[in-house]
Amino acid sequence: MGQMPATKGPVISKKIDRFFIGLASAFLFVKRFFQEVWKPPYEFKEIARQCYEIGYRSLPLISLTGFIVGVVFTNQSRPSLSEFGATSWLPALISIAIIRAMGPLVTALIAAGKVGSSIGAEIGSMKVTEQIDAMEVSAINPFKYLVVTRTLAATFMIPVLVMYTDFVALMGAFLNVNANEMVSLSTFFVQVFEAVSFLDIFSSILKSLVFGFTIGIVGCYKGYNSSKGTEGVGKAANAAVVMAMFLIFIEELLALQIVNAIRAL
Amino acid sequence: MRNDNKKNVIVGIFVFIGIAILVAGVLTLGGQQKKFVKSIRLKAVFDDVAGLQPGNNVWFSGVKIGNVRRINFYGDSQVEIEMNIESKTKEFIRKDSKATISSDGLIGNKIIVLYGGTSAAGVIEDGDRLMTEMPLDTEQMMVTLQENNQNLVSITNDLKTLTGKIAAGEGIIGSTLMDTTIAESFKTMLLNFESSSRTANQMLVELNRFSKELNKEGNLIHDLTTDDALYVGLKETMASFQSTAGQLERMTESLNAITEKLQQSDNTAGLLLNDEETAATMKSLVNKLDESATSLNAGLDALEYTWPFRRGFKRKAKAEEAASPK
Repeated sequence: MGQMPATKGPVISKKIDRFFIGLASAFLFVKRFFQEVWKPPYEFKEIARQCYEIGYRSLPLISLTGFIVGVVFTNQSRPSLSEFGATSWLPALISIAIIRAMGPLVTALIAAGKVGSSIGAEIGSMKVTEQIDAMEVSAINPFKYLVVTRTLAATFMIPVLVMYTDFVALMGAFLNVNANEMVSLSTFFVQVFEAVSFLDIFSSILKSLVFGFTIGIVGCYKGYNSSKGTEGVGKAANAAVVMAMFLIFIEELLALQIVNAIRAL
Repeated sequence: MRNDNKKNVIVGIFVFIGIAILVAGVLTLGGQQKKFVKSIRLKAVFDDVAGLQPGNNVWFSGVKIGNVRRINFYGDSQVEIEMNIESKTKEFIRKDSKATISSDGLIGNKIIVLYGGTSAAGVIEDGDRLMTEMPLDTEQMMVTLQENNQNLVSITNDLKTLTGKIAAGEGIIGSTLMDTTIAESFKTMLLNFESSSRTANQMLVELNRFSKELNKEGNLIHDLTTDDALYVGLKETMASFQSTAGQLERMTESLNAITEKLQQSDNTAGLLLNDEETAATMKSLVNKLDESATSLNAGLDALEYTWPFRRGFKRKAKAEEAASPK
């Protein structure tokens, strides 16, 4: 402490080194996942339990969020459309916004906060309390039992949650549109589906799979590589959320480019 | 173990409902976009498709009956559109129907509109190529609008000049509107008109009354116009007048002939009137007669005092004396 580094060079170098080491370690972690996922035993029970934890237990929070997003987004869009007398386009606008972007993104961000942090904290605490080491000793593959199951559960549950979110958000939007524009449910859904295409739905599902995988793998990675001590658990949980959210936005950006490229074909 | 089973069931239901939402969405979307409907394929070639895209709707009589499947270049610079049309609607679309590109609302998506067609032309079949009509180009509309704008500017300029002149009291309209004396004159003129019309009105009333008087029975005009017997009498009178006029004409002709003869010297009267020698002879004859008469008078005067006529003259004088009043 109090001692200045001799030069700035080695400090920057160490940071860069750490970054690339972290990148390589993450790459190896993902690589190991893809290697382990195909190998038996498949731990279906654990996957089902994780599906329950990640999917079902997140449903109330995500439904509420989706509903609020639907209502708020509709309400906020109305003035802009009513400026040129196009409030009848609200259902189309909302469906495009929710199905293409908001549904997957909001679900993934909420899940990153709830699921990512819990996975990070859970695995981190197991790491800290040396339960993972104990698993290895008892001939259980901890990576397979902890990482693969959670990542698979997150990968499959996020798209299902996105379906719920889309539905609930559209219902929220419908309630708002119905209250203001007296549009019937059938008219609302006709207009909703008129605006979207199959590409929108499939890109939304594919995107959700990627988001789910990201949330699961980042949570597991951060927990699996948490430093020793209780502080490490907190850091792992926090880093899992921040990293997962960051990656989700990056993936959203890339997915948008890819979908637009496909749309233009 | 039981708890695990319960969780598994919940996860199963959860996933099932999620997938059900997805399937319902896909089916609704497919149904709405006619993806799962039996369809036929039609083609149309346009010079310009104005931003039409695959997936855009095809409308017939305002009903969505299909969508654009593919857009390809064709020929030199034309564009061929392939459309999927619901099979059940094909019986309403004829081979001579036309396709045009329109828009779903003012700023909505582009659509293909099928229209027209005669029942004589027969029903379309899979792979048919429809005739096309180019839609109204926005740019052309803008060009026309620009022309209108320019005209409007020149019209408003003219109007400005006109109103300026009117405001300045120039010209007939300007002086009419701005000059108070003209307004007064106009007012006077109107008053005169009013008075004239009042007079004319009175005159009409008088004329009306006059015509009523004329129409009364016993009036000459009324009888002339209504009495048949009078008409016949008048007609006869006119015929008499006509015959009299004919006689007069003939008499005039005779007089003319007499006058002509009087002017000639080959007859006694003409000779008397026209020949100077005869006139001189006549004059001398008259003179001689005068002289003879004078001589005769002197002879007769002498006879009064001559015997045996003297007594006769005395008796006559006595008788005249006795007849004359005392």
